[in-house]
Amino acid sequence: MKSGFTILILFGLLMLGIALISAVKEENSSLYKPHPMKLEIPKGWPNPPQNIFEKNELTLEGFILGKRLFYDGNLSKDGQISCASCHQQFAAFATFDHDLSHGVANTLTTRNAPGLFNLAWKTEMHWDGGINHLEVQPLSPMTAPNEMGETLENIVAKVKKDTAYARLFKAAFGSTKVNMQRILRALAQFTGSIVSANSKYDKVMRGEETFTAYELKGYHLFKEKCAGCHTEPLFTDNSYRNNGMPLNRFKDIGRQAITLNPKDSLKFIVPSLRNAQLTFPYMHDGSIYSIPQVIEHYRSKLNKDDPNLDPLLKNGIPLTLLEKNQLTYFIYTLTDSSLTKNKKYAPDNGIIMQQTFDSH
Amino acid sequence: MLKQKQAEEKYREMNKFSYFLLSLALIFLNSLCFAQQTGKLMVSFNQEANGREIVVRDSTYSNPFGETYTIKKLKYYTGQWNFNNRIIDLYTLINAASEENHVEFDLPPGKYREFSFLLGVDSASNCSGAQEGALDPMNDMFWTWNSGYIMFKLEGNSQESTADLNRIEWHIGGYKGPLNATRRITFNEPFEIIAGKTTQMEIVLNLDKVWDGKNKIKISEDPMCMTMGALAQKIADNFQGMFSIKTISLLP
Repeated sequence: MKSGFTILILFGLLMLGIALISAVKEENSSLYKPHPMKLEIPKGWPNPPQNIFEKNELTLEGFILGKRLFYDGNLSKDGQISCASCHQQFAAFATFDHDLSHGVANTLTTRNAPGLFNLAWKTEMHWDGGINHLEVQPLSPMTAPNEMGETLENIVAKVKKDTAYARLFKAAFGSTKVNMQRILRALAQFTGSIVSANSKYDKVMRGEETFTAYELKGYHLFKEKCAGCHTEPLFTDNSYRNNGMPLNRFKDIGRQAITLNPKDSLKFIVPSLRNAQLTFPYMHDGSIYSIPQVIEHYRSKLNKDDPNLDPLLKNGIPLTLLEKNQLTYFIYTLTDSSLTKNKKYAPDNGIIMQQTFDSH
Repeated sequence: MLKQKQAEEKYREMNKFSYFLLSLALIFLNSLCFAQQTGKLMVSFNQEANGREIVVRDSTYSNPFGETYTIKKLKYYTGQWNFNNRIIDLYTLINAASEENHVEFDLPPGKYREFSFLLGVDSASNCSGAQEGALDPMNDMFWTWNSGYIMFKLEGNSQESTADLNRIEWHIGGYKGPLNATRRITFNEPFEIIAGKTTQMEIVLNLDKVWDGKNKIKISEDPMCMTMGALAQKIADNFQGMFSIKTISLLP
């Protein structure tokens, strides 16, 4: 009798198992089947310091949603300023020819907009490194009164109201639910997978092209005099350094505002030299207009009296005028037209925002 | 034809039988679960000043230095609960403007001699990207220019404040090293969890102690604290003193 009862229970458990399996099958047959995407890690590059897509699986659908949000001016208070307003693809996602960028209602930022590429290799964002994860980076421009000037509540409400998004959220995340986490994760999927690794320099390294004599001289000079901070292949070591720029009119003390450590006064993150030809003007406040002028800053103008000046710069960077020229030509080889012209990163048909191409 | 009908009949019988077996199995599984039954702990938070419950945008209170003030916002994070070294990684945003400031836990039955929670958000959760629920940046408790959570937020007004429009604005945050503004709040009050029953606990935050605790902080001197650093640390050092347990009772 007792063994009969056990058999009954085992049979019941089996039935339960079958019921569960068929329920799971049902789930899988629903429409949510995003296409996984892989972050492209160029040959010879280090792995990213952390996997920014660990909790936010990179998919084609998430990337497409993120791109749409990136180009959507509606996220700003006046409907005019999208992420792409200040991060223009033809300028390697910096603001072309602007020292400072424009925010809502004729406001101006206080720092130069950096180019957006190879962000998966960065652990901290902003010139002062105040942002600790790519996903939370957009919160800053979204809410800053001199950038997009909007509240997070309004952004979620506007995205919910725009019916075109429902389909994209469902495709990317499995349901039409709109919340800040999904908006930020989709944006991170787009911006975090922008990779720039196909400049002339890269082609030379891969043996597909050769430097001109001038460029080659410049490359040797670069390795000798600049690579201490602008380390290959990312052309930055992502450290914070005081490069002898004076305190500007905004009293921008840089990294010190984040760490509260006086030794971090006027330290800013070392920017990548990739695509530098397109991201002028330069420095954290866009106060130096051209590459030769930046080199001249290091050659003769930096503030050697600043006790926090980076030790690598204590004698400036001695260069002859010819060498300055050669170095400039080398930096031009870091321009990657396959980034600036890549349709993958361009707005999809029908959602091109006029302000994206508005030169202000 | 008849044969098919018979087969159908039989199939239906079998179906009935398997449903019967299924329910037997469920009863069996249920009894297994009962063997490891837990009890509930329901912790509710109340905020008081001058011995009265705090009502935001309403009453006037005075601090121990005789400075009167009103409260617009009082919000703080609780999380990383520790019951007999069982860490429960659950964050809750307590908001004096809300009626629903309680947290529920399922705990193994037994005696608990002390427990603690983290006032604030631990460092890992400060740098894990975009989150939802209590840690959603929409809750207005996240710094957008220097990533990290505001652990404790007090906003209001006082004639004693020298700041713009006589405001008081304390946004206490920071999670790195010496700037860490989280504090572990520890209670040495024993309580018991009984299987299948709910123990209810009322924790009270007494705001009087935020001004006059380990450190003395006056509105006239420090109406604003918007960044991490020394003042935020001074205020955070008063956190433990604010909390006490009002009642512990077993619900019938």
